[in-house]
Amino acid sequence: MSESELIEIAGQWNFNYNYFAGESASRFFRELRENQRIMGTRCTKCRRLLVPARAFCDACMERTNEWEAVGPEGTLDTFTIITTQFPGLPKPPIVMAYVTLDGADTALINLVHGLDMSDIDKAARRLNSLPRVRTKFIDEPKGRITDFSFELI
Amino acid sequence: MALENVSVYVEGVALEMSWADPRRNLSEFIFDTVRNALDDAGGSLDGITSVVLAAHDLVDGRSLSSMVTAPAAGAYLRDEIRYGDDGAGAFAAAVTRLEAGECERTIVAAWGRSSEHDVDAVSRTLFDPIFARPLGLEELHISGMRAQDWRRRHGGDSRVAAKQRAAAAARNPRALHKGGFKSAASYPLVEADLPLWGDVAAAMILTTKPTGVRLAGLGQSSEPYWIGDRTLHEATALRQAAERAMREARCKPAEIDIFEIDGLTLYDEAIGLEAIGLAKPGSGLDALAGNEKCNPSGGGAAGYCAPSMGLVRIIESVLQIQGRAGGNQIAAPRRALATGSSVVAGQTQTAVILEAA
Amino acid sequence: MTAVAVIGVGQTNYRRAHKDKSSRELIWEASKMALEDANMDIGGIDAIMAGIAPEALSGEGSVERGGMMGVGKPFLRINTGGVTGSSTVFAGTTYIQSGRAKAVLVVALERMGQATSSQQVFNTIFDPVYEKDFPLTTITMAALRASMLMRMYGYTEQHWAEIAARSFRNACRNPHAHLKLDITADDVLKSPLLAWPIHRYEACPMSEGACAMVLAAEDIVGDRNAAWVQGAASTSDSYAMGDRIRRPEATLVDLLSLRLSAERAFKQAGIDRPLEQIQAVELYSAFSSAEAMAYPALHFCKPEDGPRFVEAQFSDPSLPKINPSGGPQGANPVSATAMVRIAECALQVRGMAGERQVADVDRAVATGQGGATQFSTVCVLGKKKVH
Ligand SMILES: [Zn+2]
Repeated sequence: MSESELIEIAGQWNFNYNYFAGESASRFFRELRENQRIMGTRCTKCRRLLVPARAFCDACMERTNEWEAVGPEGTLDTFTIITTQFPGLPKPPIVMAYVTLDGADTALINLVHGLDMSDIDKAARRLNSLPRVRTKFIDEPKGRITDFSFELI
Repeated sequence: MALENVSVYVEGVALEMSWADPRRNLSEFIFDTVRNALDDAGGSLDGITSVVLAAHDLVDGRSLSSMVTAPAAGAYLRDEIRYGDDGAGAFAAAVTRLEAGECERTIVAAWGRSSEHDVDAVSRTLFDPIFARPLGLEELHISGMRAQDWRRRHGGDSRVAAKQRAAAAARNPRALHKGGFKSAASYPLVEADLPLWGDVAAAMILTTKPTGVRLAGLGQSSEPYWIGDRTLHEATALRQAAERAMREARCKPAEIDIFEIDGLTLYDEAIGLEAIGLAKPGSGLDALAGNEKCNPSGGGAAGYCAPSMGLVRIIESVLQIQGRAGGNQIAAPRRALATGSSVVAGQTQTAVILEAA
Repeated sequence: MTAVAVIGVGQTNYRRAHKDKSSRELIWEASKMALEDANMDIGGIDAIMAGIAPEALSGEGSVERGGMMGVGKPFLRINTGGVTGSSTVFAGTTYIQSGRAKAVLVVALERMGQATSSQQVFNTIFDPVYEKDFPLTTITMAALRASMLMRMYGYTEQHWAEIAARSFRNACRNPHAHLKLDITADDVLKSPLLAWPIHRYEACPMSEGACAMVLAAEDIVGDRNAAWVQGAASTSDSYAMGDRIRRPEATLVDLLSLRLSAERAFKQAGIDRPLEQIQAVELYSAFSSAEAMAYPALHFCKPEDGPRFVEAQFSDPSLPKINPSGGPQGANPVSATAMVRIAECALQVRGMAGERQVADVDRAVATGQGGATQFSTVCVLGKKKVH
């Protein structure tokens, strides 16, 4: 070992977790799988319909109660187009967008499919017009957030 | 020490120990306890401008836990800060906010869910990757070494104290009575010495307006990083923290009615009782076995998960002073000392003295 | 209540990896420099606050404990993501103002050079239930906001590029900076597109390093060269970005948490005409869009005047100088970045900023930004003490 050699020790940082989705998210996912619909919950205090569904409103620190379906159409609020591959993440180009589905008070993030991506700037201009979109479900929903995506109407 | 004209009072508390409740995700688990503490304080958020949290990313399985979890603890448009430290450390930080005049009411909360993460794997990360981690060290191994060091000097074992501790936990209505698990014990520790891993959330509302429970003293201290640089059979940082808290509260151990000491194992609790001056060196286990003032909550046998335990100890003390402890209530205590520790073998320590106001 | 001053600043150089130093040596090095600058030894310090953000980036748990100095003192660890550095400073000022300490050492460390895939780590900060399946990263989060700003207020890719190029050029005068690039807006626009509209030369580097400061109560400051903490405020917002997109009181790009923090900190500091009363600004702007969002939040201009404010910076010398150090684009040691902003402001106020010194600084303002653009801090430092 030379006197100036600096030692590096290889390590790993992998941990196992069981994340509890909880009743609200479980029902949200069940609705995706069984009824192909997107549900929100309403805050008892500020009356906002929060999407995706959740057990409480963080702004009011109050529980939510009523469940209501939103969409299936909505308006795109903002987006990005991922054009570079990052290790461990899906292959670009990928369009990601926040969409406020009809009836909802909050926006939901998901991928946007079905857009011609051969010209990124052109695609960006199209998305910048805040187009209307609709949710599109996969053929065999599994009860995951990836069961659906958005497509331009 | 603190500003003469500002005293800190406890307005509401809430505590949950449970096991793997799949009905609630982590945020909902936190929300329930914070909401309960708010309700215990009368229900209103009025005047609460501050939120002080204790949470660990690795325990929560979120690489920036408070980004997802702080809003569940009331952070929305408030001055919220998260300590990667024990709940008693967060309590101390909240106290300084009130004393500095930054706020009049604050939320303090801490949580951890043993059912969601791999407790032993997370424990291994606390050891540096160059000298210690390759050996596979876990916090409980260090507690084993502390226990052995203590036993070699003082003799005796933990059987009677463990039995008493289990009985106290059984009487504590807030303890984890179903579920949870224990890690493997390393010599000389036995299963009864170990913490019962559970899902724990603790929350408290502190205020500058008088209530029935007042903060009388607060002290904090720390020990060197290297385990080999420390005196393992003692708890030096805890001794210093308790001395500072008692100096501020102008009291001696004999004038304190309840001791809620945070320690990872039964031996750590015993060493803690010696450090704060209640028990003579070598008699910490006897105190746990025979003195009902010592850890009436059942300590680590009642349920354990970092980093909530210091705040749990403080809340147990508050409930005792208020006479609301339930099955483990000790007759009319006026003053309590609670401690919380963080990192391997209690490297950093906070001691808190609460009094009936 | 006592006034609090920064009396010592220590910074390691920031670079991709410090292979020649362990984590605890980095903490020690910055702390030692801060103590020397303060003309103090560790015995004079009453408490230590240490800031470290995602531990997954260093691959070490509670690494700050390794930097334990001056045994027997209160020692707390702060972790608030991007604002870890400023939260750590504020924890220290609060401790002093409570009367429980006269001098506090605050230190923040970033050790991400040990991570083999940082964007993968950044993905694990998101909600594992609803969001983990998406390629959400710090870059895509910034891109979502940048596209919204372009649509709402008329920013163009040219504005983003001008801001980034200015920061990289400023970094050339900062000996601690990691990325010093003498480039133009054109160079930025020609660099590869990461996530529309963000180009590679707009993103900040991944840096390692440590920053430390000594904070002191007014009665022990003595004749030391002090930068007084005139205002300090912190505000958290909802995590859910979707909840903020159409929020009537403030949308996702209005940075409500930064505005609320600025209003409180400015009030404490007696600032009512920020453009005239502030000479230097250190923004926690990991991307140009974050800088643009800060302008209206700091009351520098109306949101719709933001693009013109970018242009005016290059022609109007009376405006406050933004990120004279190069900002996070010059170096982004995440856990420390928000403390570096305050440290740089302290150096400006104390007239110790060397080649990057702005002329006649009476007041400087540092911001911190973290989480899902959800944690915001504002710190005002000045030559005079207030309170
Ligand atoms: Zn609400």
